[in-house]
Amino acid sequence: MDILLQLIANGVLLGGVFALISIGLTLIFGIVRVVNFAHGELLMVGLYATWIMATQFGLHPYVAALPLAVAFFFLGALMQRAIIQPLMNADPHIQIFATVGVGTALANAALMIFSADLRSVDLPWARQATDLFGLASVSRGNLVAFAVSFVATGALIAFLNRTHLGRAIRAVAQNRYAAPLMGIDVNRIYAITFGIGAGCVGLAAAVLAPLYPAFPTVGSFFVLTAFVVVVLGGMGSLEGAVVGALIIGLVESLAGYYVAPDLKEVVYFVIFLGILIVRPAGLFGVRGNE
Amino acid sequence: MRLALSFGGLAALFALPFWLIPAIDPEGSGFWQHIFVTIFVFAAMACAWNILGGFAGQLSLGQTIFYGIGGYAGAMLNQHFGLIPWLGGIAGAAVSVAIAVAIAWPCLRLRGPFFTLSTIAFLEVIRLLAIHFKDFTGGSAGLPVPMFVGTEMRIGWAWMLFRDKENYLIIAFGLLVVCLAASWAVRNSRLGFYLVAVREREDAARAVGVNATAVKLAAFAISAGLTSLVGTFHGIYLNFIDPETMFSLPTAIQVAMFALIGGLGTVTGPIWGTLLVVPIAEAARGWLGAAANGLHGLVYGLVLVAVVLTMPKGLVGSIGPWLKRRLGGAAEADTAARIEAPEAAAPGEERPPVGEPLLEARNLTKRFGGLVATNDVSVTLREGEVLGVIGPNGAGKTTLFNLLSGFLAPSAGGVKVRLPDGSWVSPGSPHGFAAAGVARTFQIVQPFTGLSVRENIMLGAFHGTRSAVEARRIAEEVAATVGLTGLLDAEARSLTVGGAKRLEVARALAMKPRVLLLDEVMAGLNPADVQQAVELIKRVRDSGVSVIAIEHVMAAVMALSDHIVVINSGKLIAEGPPSEIARNPAVIEAYLGEEYAHAAA
Amino acid sequence: MVTTRRRPLLAGFAAAAAAPRIASAQGGEIKFGALYPFSGGLALLGDESFRGLEVAVEERNGAGGVLGRQIRLAKGDAVDQNQAIGEVRRLMSVERVAAVFGTYASPLSFAATQVTELQGVPYFEMGAISDPITERGFRYVFRTCPRSSDFGVATVGAVADALAPAYGVDPKSLKIAILHEDALYGQTVSGFQEQQIRQRGLTQVEKLAYSARSVDLSSVIQRLRGVNADIVLHTGYQNDIVLFFRGMQEANWKPRMVIGSGAGYSLTDTARAVGPAFEGVMNVDFTQFAVNEQYAPGVSAFVELYKRRYGSDPRSGHSLANYFGGRVYLDAVQRAGSTDKDRIRTAVLATDVAEGTTPTGWGVRFDEKGQNTRVRPFLLQWQGGRQVTVYPAQAAVTQLRPQMGAAG
Repeated sequence: MDILLQLIANGVLLGGVFALISIGLTLIFGIVRVVNFAHGELLMVGLYATWIMATQFGLHPYVAALPLAVAFFFLGALMQRAIIQPLMNADPHIQIFATVGVGTALANAALMIFSADLRSVDLPWARQATDLFGLASVSRGNLVAFAVSFVATGALIAFLNRTHLGRAIRAVAQNRYAAPLMGIDVNRIYAITFGIGAGCVGLAAAVLAPLYPAFPTVGSFFVLTAFVVVVLGGMGSLEGAVVGALIIGLVESLAGYYVAPDLKEVVYFVIFLGILIVRPAGLFGVRGNE
Repeated sequence: MRLALSFGGLAALFALPFWLIPAIDPEGSGFWQHIFVTIFVFAAMACAWNILGGFAGQLSLGQTIFYGIGGYAGAMLNQHFGLIPWLGGIAGAAVSVAIAVAIAWPCLRLRGPFFTLSTIAFLEVIRLLAIHFKDFTGGSAGLPVPMFVGTEMRIGWAWMLFRDKENYLIIAFGLLVVCLAASWAVRNSRLGFYLVAVREREDAARAVGVNATAVKLAAFAISAGLTSLVGTFHGIYLNFIDPETMFSLPTAIQVAMFALIGGLGTVTGPIWGTLLVVPIAEAARGWLGAAANGLHGLVYGLVLVAVVLTMPKGLVGSIGPWLKRRLGGAAEADTAARIEAPEAAAPGEERPPVGEPLLEARNLTKRFGGLVATNDVSVTLREGEVLGVIGPNGAGKTTLFNLLSGFLAPSAGGVKVRLPDGSWVSPGSPHGFAAAGVARTFQIVQPFTGLSVRENIMLGAFHGTRSAVEARRIAEEVAATVGLTGLLDAEARSLTVGGAKRLEVARALAMKPRVLLLDEVMAGLNPADVQQAVELIKRVRDSGVSVIAIEHVMAAVMALSDHIVVINSGKLIAEGPPSEIARNPAVIEAYLGEEYAHAAA
Repeated sequence: MVTTRRRPLLAGFAAAAAAPRIASAQGGEIKFGALYPFSGGLALLGDESFRGLEVAVEERNGAGGVLGRQIRLAKGDAVDQNQAIGEVRRLMSVERVAAVFGTYASPLSFAATQVTELQGVPYFEMGAISDPITERGFRYVFRTCPRSSDFGVATVGAVADALAPAYGVDPKSLKIAILHEDALYGQTVSGFQEQQIRQRGLTQVEKLAYSARSVDLSSVIQRLRGVNADIVLHTGYQNDIVLFFRGMQEANWKPRMVIGSGAGYSLTDTARAVGPAFEGVMNVDFTQFAVNEQYAPGVSAFVELYKRRYGSDPRSGHSLANYFGGRVYLDAVQRAGSTDKDRIRTAVLATDVAEGTTPTGWGVRFDEKGQNTRVRPFLLQWQGGRQVTVYPAQAAVTQLRPQMGAAG
């Protein structure tokens, strides 16, 4: 097997993982215009929830995905109503710190309840290697995550473009002041959007649980990468998030091999900064949106 | 009075751990002094952060880059060259300022969350590089600060290492005073005004001649230098530095949080924030930490959310006004009532004659994609003249103004301005035009709400002077001219539309311009106010300022203007003296429609 | 992203304020400080370390205490460097401790010892492994546990002296790769491993670092596979160890043996998360409980004491190392006959205990710098879900198995 093909396969699949985590973030980022620093902690809560459902109720993690996504929808909507809504007209700094506070509280609550130990969902099937047309060896769980990220993105794009609610969401994103004139309840749209964003995280958590163990700080391992992906792709652009995720995944994989594993983050942060300087709105972003 | 209170408060803050606690509790004092060292260190960093995050409104979460550089500079220069940390700290601050400028250059072009994330990215890169290049930095293994080198003991004032712990208190407090003083000085200087202006309304700030990038850069550099000094001291105090501690994102967030909770953009807010949060955090940790691991963090996070939800303006921003009200500050009277008529022209003052051209625009064209907003327009403004610009809505008048003041670069053609010495220049940016003596107002008036009326006007005055005293004097003078004297200390946000329009003019006048561009200063005013505005503009003209005015109030334009240009669909369709324009069929058609023009003909 | 890794700022002064003031005139007691991370990310093993000390103290109190007085431990919670300073100051000023025990984590030790040294209070280190702690010329800082360099010696020694003979090959023919997370522990241990490999003339084919916050180690595994490493010396925490083993499974590749260096490799939790693939994996660490009782007399007695006191099995060997250290220092204080710092120093340096006579199997002989020179980590192996000592022979409880992966 060619090493380069293997690295590309790894990178693309890792991109799928990042995409899965990032779509919820970019939706919230782009439409509610809030940088949700608690995003990683939501993922952490999702991983624990999957673990509980799998170990206590014997639910297959992939089956748990649906109820989890629904539960997270309500969690997200609640978070928006209780914490973000009152700060909607406040300084953006304030919103950032509100979400930082939520993140801190969640991570520490997890530490209290579950201690710092790793909680791993046992699904050996997902971790088994499978041969990809004789070109590369990848895990089945990663393939599933990759497929889910594409299906979820596609479904979300269709939802935003085809349905009445989706169009209302886009209208709010384009002009939060004009939308109410057209009879759109902006606050309700925000709550729904936050809910959908959080629902995506719930889905991601269930799909990723067989691959990554849950522990209180796991969110912080992913959240910076997710931010990079979202900004790179362009705030609020779902297609951009997928492309950004694939770029970062490939960079991680290739730089980890050809540069040095401990410098791969440096490489992608530098690429991130470079792209921002050339295109401040990101790859798929609309200028002026920044 | 306020000054005395501030000094008293600071003195008390120092006396508490230095004399009072040792007197009450001599045994525990070493420990309490440590807590105050920590409070001072973090308050100093929060003050430094606030210059960038508060005054300039740039939410950087990468400030620990400079804390780390300061720490490493102190320790490494000590270790390798035996340099005392006082000098090492200064060297570190110099490096920090240089790196801040290098980082700020790309980052400051970004806005909002993009800026924030780019600072985080830089922090991560620097942390990872510090770990990777371990031969240079010691890597994750860290660097212990040397204490015994051979037979030499590096202890004492020179080395910032002490057996007597209260000395640390003195240095930490000194750093706090330095950062606080720097913050105070910035806030009360021209730079501070500019920063607030840029934060609130960058375009209006550029109109008063502010180079937005330069002032943000200055704030970034000052903040970085101060943070670096604190880092040097704290690195030595901790005695051991490693990338994880020195280039820590959580610490950066915490420092920003202190400033935010205390009151963003206020001078003392960061200190109050630190004084409140550090003890709460510690109390939570002390009482709850042992009970269950994580409980204190949970409480801490919840308290943070609660504070943010209940006091989004921070302690100083929320409690300050409340105190003011309680302490008998009279309710703000109706501001409209306090606007006076502008000073009348002194009798006998003669209008200077219209002179040579002062500003010339040649063949200006501006395209936005396929749309031609300004199409081959040429106008000339003569010295002492009032030039009226009229045209229907959407005709491209404001675009023309933006071209004449450097806010837009023309696609073709150019603008030149004659300087007092007779030479001509073609500026390329808003502050370039401001430097050439061109001031402007904006159609949509939004005063800088974080500033008082006086401070709003001072912002313009700073164009001609660096001295705050001088700027204050000019502001008062201009306020008298436009009739805002009674409102000088009012909050700008409390003004009526009429008042806000006058403020807009006042700010432009305070720049002592030679050319004043007025964008619909009469729109939305009642007839009496319009009359006053006409008088005001006449007076401005008589004082030797040439005026270009976009105006919809026809009677006023006709009464004021010496010359009128008419713009429709981006093109200049007519120009001439008012009397001629009023009869021009093209103008009538443009304004009233074709039928009317035919009927009139 | 702000999580428990966020380092709280200060010492728990509220605790200090709330703690009942014991009048220092309570002549019947002698007070020592116990400085560990009791909260925050390091809390689990910080607390485990403290328990070992506590058992040692209670045992000693049962036998009459030291200097004819009962010992009381004053706890100090050090979450980060700044807090370590605050807490150690509180211990010295408010609690007036005669000496401080600690610390588990090296950065905390660096910060705290600086304060005690300048105050002339003895500091008894029993768990932090960073070498420079005892290389700064401090007079009153002592350490009973092995250093990073000892881990380097032991891991490389395991390859040359235990593994190569088991494979029946020349050690030089084995291709060794070093893999480590880039925080303090990984970076220091791996540095000494590299040094040892060079010294012993072995073959190092790769040295790779990665961020402890990595979420993907696939490219690392491709590199190792590319150089066809036989032995991987890995220093990591829990999560990255799990990712490493899962990644090898995905890539369908593994070396002949992975040798860990303490930390994550010692935790049952890691073994459980990795699953059957962890069977046979080796680890170099402080003495664990499955050790030859003849070489480590008293280890099962310690486990008994521990169980009686805390109602569960010890969670890691950290408690044992601190139990050992606590006994050594308390004994020295007793021999010093007073709490005078110089007499304590003399007594500590005079300690002479042979290897194979203590519950850890370690001996005691301090050098001038205050470092115990008769300690070394042992080679352990995960067999049947348990970590057992396999080398050196005197300490071993079972035979080394040269295969990694599920038995069979």
